[in-house]
This record gives sequence, structure tokens and C-alpha cells, in this order.
Amino acid sequence: MRQYAFFLGCIAPNRYPGIEASAIKTSEKVGIELLPLKGASCCPAPGAFGSIDLNIWYAMAARNVVLAEQMDMDITLICNGCYKSIYEVNEKLKHNDELRDGVNEVLKEIDMEFKGTVDVWHLAELYYDPEIVGLKKLADSVTRPLTGAKIAVHYGCHLMKPGKERHFGDTENPMWIEELVAALGAEPVQYRNKMLCCGAGGGVRGYDLAHSLDITNEKMINLQEVGADALTEVCPFCQLQYDRGQIEIEEKFGITWGLPVLHYNELLGLAQGMSPDELALDLHAVDVEPFLKKIL
Amino acid sequence: MAVKKDYKDQTLAERLRDRKYYVPDSNPEFVKEVEKIGQTPAHMCFQCGTCTGSCPSAPRSTYRIRLFMRKINLGLEEEILTDPDLWLCTTCYSCTDRCPRDLAPTDAIMAMRNLAARRDIVPRNFLKTAQAIYASGHGVPNNDANRAARVKLGLDAEPDTTHKYPEYLEGIRKIMDHYGLKERADKILAEEG
Repeated sequence: MRQYAFFLGCIAPNRYPGIEASAIKTSEKVGIELLPLKGASCCPAPGAFGSIDLNIWYAMAARNVVLAEQMDMDITLICNGCYKSIYEVNEKLKHNDELRDGVNEVLKEIDMEFKGTVDVWHLAELYYDPEIVGLKKLADSVTRPLTGAKIAVHYGCHLMKPGKERHFGDTENPMWIEELVAALGAEPVQYRNKMLCCGAGGGVRGYDLAHSLDITNEKMINLQEVGADALTEVCPFCQLQYDRGQIEIEEKFGITWGLPVLHYNELLGLAQGMSPDELALDLHAVDVEPFLKKIL
Repeated sequence: MAVKKDYKDQTLAERLRDRKYYVPDSNPEFVKEVEKIGQTPAHMCFQCGTCTGSCPSAPRSTYRIRLFMRKINLGLEEEILTDPDLWLCTTCYSCTDRCPRDLAPTDAIMAMRNLAARRDIVPRNFLKTAQAIYASGHGVPNNDANRAARVKLGLDAEPDTTHKYPEYLEGIRKIMDHYGLKERADKILAEEG
């Protein structure tokens, strides 16, 4: 078993607990043990928080990293927003002495010091990495293949971009999450402008909801065109935007889409035999039932 | 003999000759501030427009990232920091990924938002997130319906974060207080009513 400090973030534990539950259970089946990162906080939200003062964003994210340093353990997480804060601040502080010294001066007030001794990973990349889990091991863990389901992938922005500060290769038309979907027996489908943002980031969801939903609606148009049975992503904030956003689109624009949205961990949970109840799929705003009928 | 083109109005001619300063309230230092906070050499922008062409916010608003990049270099500080469009960037980093000059327009936007915030120009939702984090450690805190759902899943009602271990809140509050953020957020929101 490989062990990681599990950084939860906000939206997964506090809005879609099925994502947290499935992360713990699915990873166990492929040799990963997630240990609680006690006392972690919001990453903090890179758009909403970083817009006010980047220095506070660095310091607050660094505090979360230091908690893992104290456990002497790498961090894994399940949200792209958290990935931006925790991964990026960790990398920046490791390589920028001036920035690190500034942050450490603040952390000293709470008896902490950023040392730069751990790494940060998105759970999805651990699933994909053949040296950690890999597609074969993942496919072997499947007991209920999602045969016949057409699933579209939303990568989300902050996992992959900016590409030169990441390590995921092509950011214009990546395919690795499609490979993760195919490993579950489902059929990944391509759609127009796949890498377009969900519309939620940068504080825009809270600042101008109609504007942010209009971006989401463009995604929905493109997804409808290819007849996807479900949309999957690796970011609870994107999930919130697509899932609750569809209800808001209905209220604001009078357009009904009804496209089920599931985090990749939830999909993997279903494919490993977890029941919809064990995933709290009833908490989703858009009814997941039509998709479940197709696969169960 | 070459004829020098000039305006009859001497003051205008003077101003236009010095291209950096032709708007009376421009601040030539502004680009340097943006570059320092955003850690990107914004002065290298050659206005190709790849950024606006890649932007999800551009087709549905007057937000134009290329225009902001130009205004940075013209030092139009006032105009930029008071522009409501500044807050329409979703920070998707498509412009940054595609910029042929290897700039990060997204980080320039973040820098300008920081500078606006120093003048207490911040939309409410940003400040409310900061207040929520100060209060609970979470931007999106737990609630009763979710606690019940968590228990049904076999999870603890409170996640292993500051929710279960509120003793960690003190450290978070100390960091935010170091910058006076909570106080400022409270003040701005109270003034707005």
C-alpha cells in the first residue's frame, strides 16, 4: 500500500461527500491508502482568494502543505482548484527563495516552517501513472464494466494549465482521462471545444452567475451534439457548476439539458461495484438515474 | 528637406511626442507593479490577440484581455482598476497557454485584481469567501443536510479538516490577521451595506 495525505478541500466533503467516500474506497482497491490530513483548510480558493492578495494565498496554501510535511507524506487530492493552490504554491515555494522566505516569516507566527519536502499529486494522475496504479491495474479492479455508456470528459483548467508549469503534456487535446474512462469499459466520446472552461473559476460564478452559466451552456450545447450519456470530470467545483448549473440554466435561461455529471471517482466506484447509495448520488442536482439504467 | 509633422497646438504636440505620457493620468510605473506581482513580463506583449481569441469570457461580454494588456503598457491604472470587466476572467489560463510571447496574461489579471483590492475595490463574493474561511476554515462550509448524508455513507459528520479539528483555526486566523484581511473585508462589506 502506498500512503498519501488526503487533502479534501471544500466542495467534495461539504457538498458531494460521495466523491470523498469513493476516493477512499476505490483507491484502496488499487493499492493506495489515503490518510487524513488533520486540520487542513480550504486550499484556499485560487480565484476568489488569490484575487484579493496573492501573498495571503501563498501563506494559507503553504500551511496546508506543512501539515503534510509534518506527516512526512506526499499529498494527493481530488479537485483541480485545490491542485492549483496546493501543487502550484508548493512548487513556487520550493524554487523561489524570496517567496519562501516571505511565507516562512508569516508561518513563524504560528510555529510552522515550509521546508519543501513533499510532493503534490492529483489522485487521477496516480491512477494513470503505470508506476503507481496504471490502466491495467485499474481495469482489473472493475467488477461491473460501464459497457455501452458514452462518456464525455471535462478536464478542467487548473489541473493542466498553464502547461509549462505542469507535467501533463498536450493541453489542447489531451486523451489520458479518456483512457481512464475506457479502462472502466465505457466509451469515451469527443466533443467540440473540449478544453473550454466550465465557467465557474476566477470568482466569476459568484461575481456574475449569468455570465458564468452562459459558458456552461455552451459546453452543454457541444455535449448534446455528440449524445453523451454522462459527463465526467476530476474537479468537484466543475461538477458543482455543471450539476447545479444545469438547474440554474433552467431557471435563468429556460433550457433543460438533464445531463448526468459524475466525478471520475464516482464512476470508478460504480465500476468497482459500489451502489448509488454508497456514493450519495441522490445529492446530485441532475438526476443520475438515466445513466444508471444504462449501466446497471 | 524632410517636413516634420506636428500639431498646431503646442501643448498637444508636446504630449504626443512623448508617447508614454500622452494620457494625462497615466502611470508609467504601473506596468512594473503588475510585472512584479504577476511575475510575468507584460511589457513584451505585441498585441497579437491570441489571448482574446482564446478567452471564454470574451464572446459574452466587453471583457478583452488584449485591451487590458495594452492598457497596462499605457499605464492606464485608474481605468483598469475601476473597470468591472477586470473580474470577468475565469482564470482558465488558455491565453497563458497559447501566448506566443510566453506571457501570462492571467497572472497579469490576478496582479491587477490585487492592486484594485489594495484600494478596497473588490466584488462582494470574493470578500465573503475570505470571511467564510476565517470563520470555519472553509470557503464552502459543511451544513446539516450534508452531515446527514456523510453519516449515511459511513463518513464522520465532520470531515478531517478544520471542521473536525477547530483548534487549527487559530493558525489560519493569525495568517489572515497578519495581513488584516478579515478586518478589511468586514469594513468594505459593512460600508457597502
